[in-house]
Amino acid sequence: MAKKLMKGCEAIGEAAIHAGCRLFFGYPITPQNEIPEYMSARLPQVGGVFLQAESEVAASNMLYGAAGAGCRVFTSSSSPGISLMAEAISYIAGAELPVVIVNIMRGGPGLGGILPSQSDYFQATKGGGHGDYRVLVLAPSTVQEAADLTQDAFDLADHYRNPVMVVGDGLIGQMMEPVEFKRSISPEELPAKPWATTGCSDRKPNIINSLFLNPEELEAHNWHLHRKYQDMAREIRWESWKLEEPVDVLIVAYGTVARICKTAIDTLRARGVKVGLFRPISLFPYPSEQLSQAVEKAGKVLVTELSTGQMLEDVQAIVAGRKPVSFYGRVGGMVMSPEEIEREVDKLVAS
Amino acid sequence: MGAMTDITERPGALDLLKAPVTVLVGHFGAGKTEIAINLAVAFKRRGEVVALADLDLVKPYFRSRLARHELGALGVGVVVPEGDMVYADLPILVPQVKGLIARAGDGAGRLVIDVGGDDLGARVLGAIAGLTDPSHTDVLFVVNGRRPFAETLDEVATMLREVEVAARLRITGLVANTHLMEETSPAVVREGLDLARQLAGLTGIPLRFCAVLARVAALPELDDARAICPILPLERRIVPPFAVKVRLPVPLKGAAVV
Repeated sequence: MAKKLMKGCEAIGEAAIHAGCRLFFGYPITPQNEIPEYMSARLPQVGGVFLQAESEVAASNMLYGAAGAGCRVFTSSSSPGISLMAEAISYIAGAELPVVIVNIMRGGPGLGGILPSQSDYFQATKGGGHGDYRVLVLAPSTVQEAADLTQDAFDLADHYRNPVMVVGDGLIGQMMEPVEFKRSISPEELPAKPWATTGCSDRKPNIINSLFLNPEELEAHNWHLHRKYQDMAREIRWESWKLEEPVDVLIVAYGTVARICKTAIDTLRARGVKVGLFRPISLFPYPSEQLSQAVEKAGKVLVTELSTGQMLEDVQAIVAGRKPVSFYGRVGGMVMSPEEIEREVDKLVAS
Repeated sequence: MGAMTDITERPGALDLLKAPVTVLVGHFGAGKTEIAINLAVAFKRRGEVVALADLDLVKPYFRSRLARHELGALGVGVVVPEGDMVYADLPILVPQVKGLIARAGDGAGRLVIDVGGDDLGARVLGAIAGLTDPSHTDVLFVVNGRRPFAETLDEVATMLREVEVAARLRITGLVANTHLMEETSPAVVREGLDLARQLAGLTGIPLRFCAVLARVAALPELDDARAICPILPLERRIVPPFAVKVRLPVPLKGAAVV
């Protein structure tokens, strides 16, 4: 298929269609409106259903229903909207249903602003809703990667029967880059889901539920979920960039921020500064072991995020005092420039 | 400016824009903003008085208003919502636009109007008086055939009609702008020219110019394209923060223009 020029939001929408998804339920919010807009135009062309719900609460519970019926389904929102969906995401995790949720993050807390942010790292990776649950979290840094990871997200959701979240800062959603869709599957080709509630005239009823009044059963269910989250370690993804040789400064960043760091690293390396990048792609499960190995070959660690320091806490736990960890964050929709990263690295090298 | 190749020194795309007001419409993401900014800068370099009005009420990021300080430093007036509202995703129509339209060409210089995408973005034009005289206002429809919902002649022709209805204006010219950002090849440009010519044939609306990234525009492979219509070399002005930015005062070096 010929390459197209797409916004991240459009690429995510098209990727869902190539993954055999024919259902979108959602509610508009900037800066991800291009996803529902795109789905509203595309889904009718491929025999799917787009529905603008009365709220994010309604949309996320529609996901619960559709996933329970065995359909691939997805929604997208931006930070405040994901907060509204947190209850349903907990229920979906508890009921072990596969759904894909996209969060194009904007500045918060509260209504915040409409510009890019990465301040929902805690919300995405540590829960967000109530109860012992996790969602698998993927963080693209290019429009092509946003498309690829969205397609993967549907497979991973089905495999683990669990919500999978694709998180992008606002830039990923809004910027345009060339995209290619390398694989495509129709809903008819998808593997059967024998656990789904599809009508039970010739079998025992399937039950989809997150209510366990018997504490022994709920405890067993919790440990079953826990083992599943541990199994997700197989899905760890990361990128090591210019880390073949030991570095004086190891930058840890994800999403668009990692690309800003790459631009800075190119300039720094041209000046002879030994610096490289570790980019987690899966934020849960986190590539802890891989980062730990990279830290061994680094003098100092610099974490940079569009937040006041969220992933920082995970990196600090992984580094565990072995090397100094510093932080550079921008918030409120302000995005750091490559020059700001260069300045921070220079300071670390000089100190 | 010396020996530098500069679009202000050659006849070409700019010479075909006789009307003092240039309005850019088209599909969502067709490239209206970059063309609007590049046109404003090019007119300014010719020594003309230029203002750019950002009437994009559709997209929240990558709007021409992001270049307002750099354009302002070059002497291009930029008309955008005031104060914090410049950051908002609200449908704010700045009242000064109506005065600028009325005075354009009449000692007040040129006005370039960047409009939001699709019929939805063009709807704001229907609320503005004074744009219906083709000798006063050029309404250019920008086409990028590599964008979703703009890939076939049928799709672009349908959108062109929907934009005309929503804007309550006649489109007076076409701009071929098929590209894949940094991955644009001469073949992609030619493919876009073909689509724009087919659209011109179907609608009777003339193809005014072809917008091409300056680096690609300079390639000899596009000599045949230059024979078809003038080429406007573009420098990307609204880029994500990781891209190495081309500063506005930098001249458009090496860009061959017919």
